[in-house]
Amino acid sequence: MKQDKTIDHLFRHQFGKMVSILTRIFGLSNLETIEDAVQDTFIKASIAWRDEMPENPEAWLTKVAKNRTLDLFKSIKAEKNRAQFSFNGPSSIAVSELFLDNEIEDAQLRMIFTACHETLDPRDQISFALKTISGFSNKEIASALLLKEETVKKRLHRARKSIKDNKVKFEIPVGKELNLRLDRVLEVIYLIFNEGFHSGNPELLVRMDLCGEALRLCKLLIGRTETKTSKSLALFALICFHSARLDSKTNDLQEAIAIKDQDRSKWLFPLIVMGNRAMNLAVEGGEFSVYHFEAAIVCEHLKAKRFEDTNWKAILGFYKQLQQLDPSPIHQLNIVVVLLQLKETAAAKKQLQTISPKDLERREYLYHGCLAEILAEKGQMDDAIAACTIAIELANNKTEKSFLQKRRAILMDQL
Amino acid sequence: MKEYMMIFIGDSYEDLGLSPEEMQGKMGKWFEWSNVMQEAGVLRGGHALHSEVRHVSGSKRTITDKAGSEVKELIGGYYIVEAKNMDEVVTIAEGYPDYDLGGTVEIREIMVFDR
Repeated sequence: MKQDKTIDHLFRHQFGKMVSILTRIFGLSNLETIEDAVQDTFIKASIAWRDEMPENPEAWLTKVAKNRTLDLFKSIKAEKNRAQFSFNGPSSIAVSELFLDNEIEDAQLRMIFTACHETLDPRDQISFALKTISGFSNKEIASALLLKEETVKKRLHRARKSIKDNKVKFEIPVGKELNLRLDRVLEVIYLIFNEGFHSGNPELLVRMDLCGEALRLCKLLIGRTETKTSKSLALFALICFHSARLDSKTNDLQEAIAIKDQDRSKWLFPLIVMGNRAMNLAVEGGEFSVYHFEAAIVCEHLKAKRFEDTNWKAILGFYKQLQQLDPSPIHQLNIVVVLLQLKETAAAKKQLQTISPKDLERREYLYHGCLAEILAEKGQMDDAIAACTIAIELANNKTEKSFLQKRRAILMDQL
Repeated sequence: MKEYMMIFIGDSYEDLGLSPEEMQGKMGKWFEWSNVMQEAGVLRGGHALHSEVRHVSGSKRTITDKAGSEVKELIGGYYIVEAKNMDEVVTIAEGYPDYDLGGTVEIREIMVFDR
């Protein structure tokens, strides 16, 4: 069982690499053929590894993938009447070149930019990125994004078709186009991270993979001069800061632990250091994006040795700037939460009233959770319990539900 | 240490009429060989060349286009390796997979004037 999961993880990781490399050779118009070929390699591997794992599975897979290139040359040539290409031994030199680490990174960056091409429907971009860059299966994407598998399939199909129809080139754009596309790339990475970090997906490994993928992709971006912008550095810092707390966020049963009760000694120091370093570079330009403010907020949490030491005033300031830059009901709701921490119940209530709960979509339950806290603070326990009950009903998953149920039990004790 | 170029001369697999399986096997051997050189730390680089050839020759700069199959002794590509002397490169070149297909490895020392 454990081994299966390790293999799944390895395949996920290798899939994106191989598809990207092979796409450099054969072009995006052959994406589906390439994906099938790589998938087939994995099927062969899992059969070959049934009895014994090779000592270096990654090298094993790379070797098989390299050999597959020739197959692909044959089939794609027959299919598409490719330009004359005559194969000889030295061609392997060119193929090997693409399997070098820096070339793999380049290929993967090209794939990220492809996924974020403006001709793709924004809804399809994330599914496509998870599939093609991160090697998630349709089922895993469905579970990560809380979609039906059928929907994922449709989105992937639409994305591939759009790439083909619009003859999207497998390249990193330059000039103005680069900045525009980079913005979307950062958004997509941010969304992937959020799916992993905030979703209540019961599969911890999938969640960690999502966070890990976001971190990895962002690291690729800041590893290259053209894409190492103040925004990408800030996003990288944000992801590092959040990731440092990932382990302390849930208990062994995968139930959420409130930040108040998290074991701060479990926070991963190396990630915090890495985040700090990126953040220092990110603020050099003096121009701040949403990622800067979000990172600053998490950083305040990390700075506090104990929950009681949290500088809520600073956090409130950052949320207000964030709300100004990018108005959203989620930020408004966070302002409510901070005001509650500052015991400014009246202000919290006023702020909450400006939000219409439906706008929060999947997070609507948080509205009622906050309302419960405001009511409890005012001593209206019956109403608080009622609000908490609505929150429990609206919560998306077990973790959230059980968290709220515990909270309700405490409120009931205070009756 | 000196640097040498191993120049690979031979016809394309298609022109030699290799079956897909045979090509696959050959490619596997090429990858293995480059791995061996990589692990030994002697490989410095290399390139493969497309088979279309354009010759420019004579004082009139006469241009002749040829397909790879029309060229005798077609260069397919090269590797650059580090070695003490020619003999050492000959040993490295023993791994070249295409001798049985009539292929040739031409070894040349790279000229450097800074010693």
